[in-house]
Amino acid sequence: MIECVHVYKKYKNGVNALYDINFKVEQGEFVYIIGPTGSGKSTLIKLLDGEEIPTKGTVKVVGIDVGKLRHSKVPVYRRNIGVVFQDFKLLPTKTVFENISYALEVINLRKDLIRRRVREVMNLVGLDEKGNSFPRELSGGQQQRVAVARAIANRPKVLIADEPTGNLDPSMSDEIMALLEKINREYGTTILMVTHDLTIVNKHRKRTVVLEHGHIVADLAEGGYVQHDQ
Amino acid sequence: MISRIWRPIKEGFLGVFRHGSMSSSSCIAVTVTLGIISLFLLFSVNVGQFTQGIEQSVEISATVDYSYESAQQEDRISLAIQSIDGVDTVTYYTKDEEFQYYLDSFSSEETKEAFRPFEGENNPMHDTFYVTVKDGQDLEAAATAIQAIEGIDSVNFGGASAVKLMRVLRSIRFAGWFVALLTSLLAVLLISNTIKVTITARADEIAIMRNVGARNGFIRSPFVVEGIIIGALGAIIPVAVMIYLYRSLYEFTGGYLISQMFTLVPPDTILPYAVVILAGIGILVGLLGSFFSVTRYLRWKR
Repeated sequence: MIECVHVYKKYKNGVNALYDINFKVEQGEFVYIIGPTGSGKSTLIKLLDGEEIPTKGTVKVVGIDVGKLRHSKVPVYRRNIGVVFQDFKLLPTKTVFENISYALEVINLRKDLIRRRVREVMNLVGLDEKGNSFPRELSGGQQQRVAVARAIANRPKVLIADEPTGNLDPSMSDEIMALLEKINREYGTTILMVTHDLTIVNKHRKRTVVLEHGHIVADLAEGGYVQHDQ
Repeated sequence: MISRIWRPIKEGFLGVFRHGSMSSSSCIAVTVTLGIISLFLLFSVNVGQFTQGIEQSVEISATVDYSYESAQQEDRISLAIQSIDGVDTVTYYTKDEEFQYYLDSFSSEETKEAFRPFEGENNPMHDTFYVTVKDGQDLEAAATAIQAIEGIDSVNFGGASAVKLMRVLRSIRFAGWFVALLTSLLAVLLISNTIKVTITARADEIAIMRNVGARNGFIRSPFVVEGIIIGALGAIIPVAVMIYLYRSLYEFTGGYLISQMFTLVPPDTILPYAVVILAGIGILVGLLGSFFSVTRYLRWKR
């Protein structure tokens, strides 16, 4: 599903973000990527969703070489993956319903099918009543659930979550985690979740890839975070 | 398929409505600039009309020397005048007709009686050709050319003052068009800049749309519709005000300023064109402004 082979990323301003990243995620896996600020987590996400191009190496997601995509084809590629961001990235002038249906309108799905699917995912994330609300009228946790609903509306094979609980308090974080686990379990969606929230990582144990200074320093199938000696 | 056409239109209207304050500031920019353009447009067209009116009313009178009054000589002179470049019409009056015309200009019989001795053999008038030119700019040249014809006694065309007035009107008209053009360019800059600012505020939105898989054209089309709507909305007020004010001016003045020489262009002749030009500028600039701004922000992030 996701494959990184000898991936290097060096930004134009000279900052080295990633060194020789190699890892593979199989279909149906739920994987954490953890690491401190500046370890290259965000860069890795950007490489996976096509926002950045690797300096060296190949990034393959659902069989597509993401780094080789033309600018105009990037959005089309993104229809294969769902992405959930820390800052939700909802369209402020669209209602909850419209935010979710937008992701389906872009693939020219029939109107009645869009309506049915939006109701389905709104039910899944537990926001049946909020269809006509605007994002600003919702709590952070609710907004993140809208973002999750939007990300999975299109039934993507891969869901990438970039610090989905970063802006939420612990109880809301648990809510989101439960939702992601449900999606992983019920739809078999491959989930890659970037986080620095150790409480979550230790509570919901899953395969964990540890990044530090742009290197993968551990890939633990058992999960849980191992504190290195400094 | 139908939704591909209707979606951008629906979304465009929705966008104008939901970004109310930004839409209205863009509309105001359009309104103000189109208002200024309409002023200079109407001004220039009317000054053009004045110039043309004066040019057409000015004619050259060329008198024939006494010793060239034979029909043969005058036919030759008439042909010579007609062959001059820019000459439009040539009308011939005999010295008797000229004298009668002069007499008729007096109302009292006594005065007319006093001129009786000059009738017939003693008529001091000349046979005269009245010449109009197609283009006022040719007036001086035509007059000089007529003067040069053998048998012409004197040439008169209202003189240097007529030429000067025409020159002044010409430069005013030129200046008017120049300012109209300049303000149009300014309008294009101002409107597209305002639209650019409103779209900049939505750069994040555009990036999000790409994030959820929207192709560039899918993102761009509602914005372009929005630009068109804003251009059209912004044109409504200046167009309405222009129609109302110009009609009022025309009715108030009776169709001319100061004298019949400065005839205004009738509203029904000029306004349809002016409306099309103003609305056209508004809509086109709205369309292009939003198109290019969105395109810029589409490239902003991958």
